[in-house]
Amino acid sequence: MKYIGKEIVGLPTRQLVAGKGQYVSDVILDGMLHMAIVRSPYAHARIKSIDTKPAEAVPGVVYVITGKEVIENMRPIMEAYDTAAMDAKSVKCYALCPERVRYVGEAVAAVVAEDKYTARLAADLVEVDYEELPVVFDAEEAMKPGAPLVEPDWDSNVMVTRDFIRGDLDKAFAEADGTFSGTINTQRYTGAAIEPRGYVATYDPYQDMLTMWASTQNPHPMRVFLAETLGIPETSIRVIQPHVGGGFGLKIPTFQEEPLIAYLARKLARPIKWIEERQENLLVGGHARQNRLHYDVAYKKDGSVIGFRAKVIADVGAPAALCGWGQSFVTSYCIPTCYKIPNCRVQLFTVVTNKCPWNAYRGYGKEAASFLMDRVMDGVAKATGVDRAEVRLKNFIQPEEFPYSQVSGAMIDSGNYPKALNRVLEMVGYKDFPKLQADARKQGRCIGLGIGQELTPEGCSMPKSTLLSGYDGCTVRVNPSGQVTVLTGVTSPGSGNETGIAQIVADTLGVDVKLIRVIQGDTDTCPYGLGNYSSRSIIMGGAAAQVAGTDIREKMFKVAAKMLEVAPADIDSEDGKIYVKGAPSRYVLFKDVASTVYRDCYGKFASDVEPGLEATRYFRHPNVYHQPEVDGRFSSYPSWPNGVSACVVEVDPETGIVKLLRYCAVHDAGVLINPLLAQANLHGGIIQGLGGAMFENLVYDEAGQLKTASFLDYTIPTAVDCPSLEVEHQETRSPFNPLGCKGVGESGVTAPLGAICSAVENALGHLKLNFDEMPLTPDRVWQEIRHAQQQA
Amino acid sequence: MKTPVEVTVNKKKYKVEVDTRMILADMLREELRLTGTHIGCGTGNCGACTVVLNGETVKSCCIIAADANGQEITTIEGLSSSATELHPIQQAFVENQGLQCGYCTPGMVLSTLQLLKDNPNPTEDEIRHGISGNLCRCTGYQFIVQSIQDAAKRLSNGGQPGASQ
Ligand code: FES
Ligand code: FES
Repeated sequence: MKYIGKEIVGLPTRQLVAGKGQYVSDVILDGMLHMAIVRSPYAHARIKSIDTKPAEAVPGVVYVITGKEVIENMRPIMEAYDTAAMDAKSVKCYALCPERVRYVGEAVAAVVAEDKYTARLAADLVEVDYEELPVVFDAEEAMKPGAPLVEPDWDSNVMVTRDFIRGDLDKAFAEADGTFSGTINTQRYTGAAIEPRGYVATYDPYQDMLTMWASTQNPHPMRVFLAETLGIPETSIRVIQPHVGGGFGLKIPTFQEEPLIAYLARKLARPIKWIEERQENLLVGGHARQNRLHYDVAYKKDGSVIGFRAKVIADVGAPAALCGWGQSFVTSYCIPTCYKIPNCRVQLFTVVTNKCPWNAYRGYGKEAASFLMDRVMDGVAKATGVDRAEVRLKNFIQPEEFPYSQVSGAMIDSGNYPKALNRVLEMVGYKDFPKLQADARKQGRCIGLGIGQELTPEGCSMPKSTLLSGYDGCTVRVNPSGQVTVLTGVTSPGSGNETGIAQIVADTLGVDVKLIRVIQGDTDTCPYGLGNYSSRSIIMGGAAAQVAGTDIREKMFKVAAKMLEVAPADIDSEDGKIYVKGAPSRYVLFKDVASTVYRDCYGKFASDVEPGLEATRYFRHPNVYHQPEVDGRFSSYPSWPNGVSACVVEVDPETGIVKLLRYCAVHDAGVLINPLLAQANLHGGIIQGLGGAMFENLVYDEAGQLKTASFLDYTIPTAVDCPSLEVEHQETRSPFNPLGCKGVGESGVTAPLGAICSAVENALGHLKLNFDEMPLTPDRVWQEIRHAQQQA
Repeated sequence: MKTPVEVTVNKKKYKVEVDTRMILADMLREELRLTGTHIGCGTGNCGACTVVLNGETVKSCCIIAADANGQEITTIEGLSSSATELHPIQQAFVENQGLQCGYCTPGMVLSTLQLLKDNPNPTEDEIRHGISGNLCRCTGYQFIVQSIQDAAKRLSNGGQPGASQ
């Protein structure tokens, strides 16, 4: 029985479906207090004074804290993404803002009370006197000389820049058959997991032990961040990750509330709980994706792109300790994605504004790069009259050209882009579509087909980083009775990597997957590891599990070989039996070998192996380069899954309403450990991409107030908005990963952007629409249609 | 201020004193420790807090706990009799991987219960409308829809998987 490649239902599924999961809000402790946060109502203001007395006077209030106490007792929050290592500017952000707020919602004070209603009520009574300061909301305005500074200590609002160049741009543009330019605006949006953030902290002064239950993706890094920020030993902190109700990157530390609640629990020596409200989640739970992308294209008549310039201007909101700003870097790093463009320049300007800081969100900047290239390829098709698919096929990096180094130094491991595109065109019926479209048009219906390409590098590995340094650990323990405990450094926010890891260990040891129990998310029991980000849990955590499992397997084979009186090289294992190769009837039971190691360590079979059957091993990915002086390049993403989608939409020109009729996708992440869960991830990713393409938008007004701070205004897709998805997988192994696999977690989220834009334009081909502003809400589509009709 | 509330939840009678500001979802979770009812928004938009009140699904974040006095409620915990005996709807969700993080799931399962009570043989479109008050951010709804189709078959087949009659 082999488990890798098998569709197995996620291990925690039964428990969760019974309502018996334990999420952080389900942690209810005796004597537990509740925290509520006082947040800035201004986008930029100086705090003149804070009067906490009215709040303190409320019966049931236990404590009120402001930024003054925080700076006297805590360090600035440790950065999740090291700015110095990336030559980026930095700020000192505290658990509570001591003197100057830089976006609406920034935390300035907190109230701890006996119940959450009292805490909330009292928080509203804290009186903060502000002096408003000038604000800046648009990234390009913020770049102009004389613009108000988000950080007065900086010389400009530009946090970091990059400039990647390859080839001779001037020559390419001079030799081109044609050129065109454009600008794309992608909107600000976010992951909005259905479970908001939350923490419960409790402190035992006798053991000097702070225990923190956190809806987080990264327990061990969170412990480091807390230790550094609070100035206490890591060994005095235990972070436990209970079930997490979706993360999508947004539950990566370092938020203000984390060190704040930890500090208060230590100070008051009582358990404290804070569960984010949905409004807070949309206001401060991390934003992403707001980019302006300028581009110039030089092409030949046959559709090949010979020169390309891109300028990425990322509006990352106010600088913070969170790792979100790094997304802008990844956008610039990925361009021109899966295309081979000989002359290419990519410039990045990461700009701060008076809006909520970015945090990581599924896609992590890759989506913007792929979306840009989709718009470019469609633009070339329009300019040359060459078919959209043909243009892509003409410009792809070819399967035999891998590993392929892009202009940024990115080292793309493998792929077969033409095969995937051809397959998805077949699935959607590309050839026959024009007839279908013409027939529909006769009935007065406007249908269109669009193509979206995506390249989503995974397993981010950055130098000098606590969170992102790109390795992971795993302990495999075979117990005396033959069952297996696996402890991982990676975690699952609901994505199912625990199941994939169990499958990998089951195959490595040759045992039934039911014998394996996977434990994750506890800094006291699990090996040190970086948790869940960048779709890394199988590529890093799964590989570490395989390495640790192999250690145990070899040790058990040594013992079994003696028991069977053959050489270790002559045996194998499967279905709980360790047998002689070619003579499967000569075997010992896996559990008997385990028992022998534990119970007979001085006996004749096990005396020459070390007692115990436990191995902790770490895995570092071969396709990462951090030493340019040694290997001539810097490459931080080892694994390059890719995919392509083709969708069919119907547009109502009278209302601008776009209905998605079909959505086909071909996805390639190398070897799939569990195709069922990979498929599940794909579905979720595609629908999040659909939400981003069609509805989701975090809108600020001129005063910097978020106008979309509830699920009423910030609309995410419901079941009615989604078509039934048609997804297929293709397998191009990663030559660098021992399992041959690539990341899956962020697949699917990108292609809908390009595909839906392309399809809507195609549906109204006669109007020659060109969408350069997202999302495609009915309102925007309607306006574009009106605009085009007036022009005509 | 506290007020006494008497409710029957999952066929069991409870008598509690609750804060007059407390919502029903909090009472179920914090007073009765039935934490399978989740809170995702508190504003009636996500459906994670869905419970059955007097035979109809409601969003328990939008009901004041005190108003549940004398009423009969079923939560997700009331659906299965034990860890080994899941309700056919739950079993269908398990076997079709109709969830990932599981946070929306209790609400989704109870909305399915209502949907299939009202319409034992729904079309895909009717299923999608039936759960449109329940947001899920993980699954893209596809495996949820499949789970519900399977659940419908199971319910018309005495809880067993198999074709509907
Ligand atoms: S918590 Fe009640 S509907 Fe969202
Ligand atoms: S399974 Fe995560 S929200 Fe539905």
